[in-house]
Amino acid sequence: MPPQLGLAAVAFVSAQNHPILVRALLTPTDDLLKFHYLAHTSLDVIDERIAAAPKNPESYLGFLYAMEEVAVYGYITPLKVKIILALTLTDAVVRDADVIAMFKAFHLAYYRSVANPFLKLHTPLDTPSEHSTLLLAGSAQWKGFRRRVDEVARAVGALPVSTS
Amino acid sequence: MNAAPGPSSSPSLSALADPPPRMMDSAAMDYFLIELVQTLSQSAKVADARAKKVEQEMIDAGLLPPPPPPPQVLKGRKELQRESTVPTLDKTPAEEEEESVRARLEAIGLHVGANITERLCHDRLGFSDTLDTIKFICKELWSTCWDKQVDNLRTNHRGVYVLQDNSFKPIARISSWESRADATRRAKLVESPLTLVDSDSDSAVQYVAMSAGTLRGSLARLGLQATIIPEINLPQCTFQVKLPKGA
Repeated sequence: MPPQLGLAAVAFVSAQNHPILVRALLTPTDDLLKFHYLAHTSLDVIDERIAAAPKNPESYLGFLYAMEEVAVYGYITPLKVKIILALTLTDAVVRDADVIAMFKAFHLAYYRSVANPFLKLHTPLDTPSEHSTLLLAGSAQWKGFRRRVDEVARAVGALPVSTS
Repeated sequence: MNAAPGPSSSPSLSALADPPPRMMDSAAMDYFLIELVQTLSQSAKVADARAKKVEQEMIDAGLLPPPPPPPQVLKGRKELQRESTVPTLDKTPAEEEEESVRARLEAIGLHVGANITERLCHDRLGFSDTLDTIKFICKELWSTCWDKQVDNLRTNHRGVYVLQDNSFKPIARISSWESRADATRRAKLVESPLTLVDSDSDSAVQYVAMSAGTLRGSLARLGLQATIIPEINLPQCTFQVKLPKGA
């Protein structure tokens, strides 16, 4: 049963705080700028949380803050990539387990897209430029990432199954 | 919002969050890796021959000074870019070929290592410090890729780690035509394995190239820029990992 959560948007931010992908899910025509701004403020909160815990063994950062009808949750992968979820505030109880499951699914979607060996087709071989290649994963050229993110959103029940 | 899974079966969230692990036949994988090295050597020869031909044409057309040419920057194809980053010293053609095969294998390893690490870290919590990451590599990465854990880990606490594997899987079964005499000669000259000029340890170097790349890619994805130096002492293999200062 898909949980009754409204998944408004998801943002992936790299280890050096560059945005990889910001995707609005409920209303795809909504202006993305609002979610960029949301992601920015979340980064500050995440940094605070990480600084507070000297050794950060936990990946799931939990509820970060709430802002004008969205509640923001954060997750940091062991490789320092941050995933930020904006859920529309509802009166229903939001279970941690559901949110964690969503984060894991998004993490996997990210991993599968980044594992694409053709991302680095046009960059020279021995530059260990991890960072720029990760950024490439979210660019407009590679639709796989967006497709996978949409798939997760569909599984959550946020997107109606029939739309693209 | 009650979207029952429609005709295009949308997978459930739990299936997406925690997919069942995909398995692969390990014998098939071993054969594949062996053949990979052979195939890449052939392909590298073709690519190098093609590059040399272009180079020769440019020399003939007077665009390049006649040999010895300086390390030129030939734009365009990826193979040429790769070659130009390897400085053209006075190497024999055979060594140049080996170098390019090794570079290709290491690049493949980089990619594989980075992504396997990403996948392995899916369920685990963060790393507390560098030693923790190295231990993760020694245990989980090694057992995923090569079915065992590292036998010995040493460090000088200043950024140099030595990972020793007493029976490294890719080269555990290597044999050569000049078999037994080689083996005893090698056993005697144990102090300097890489200076031996025999086919066995040369080919072993190639088989280890991809593993070295895997290590390097894994460390790079975890945020540590390292240099890896493998030393082969059939069937034992030692990787020296140098991390930059401050790591």
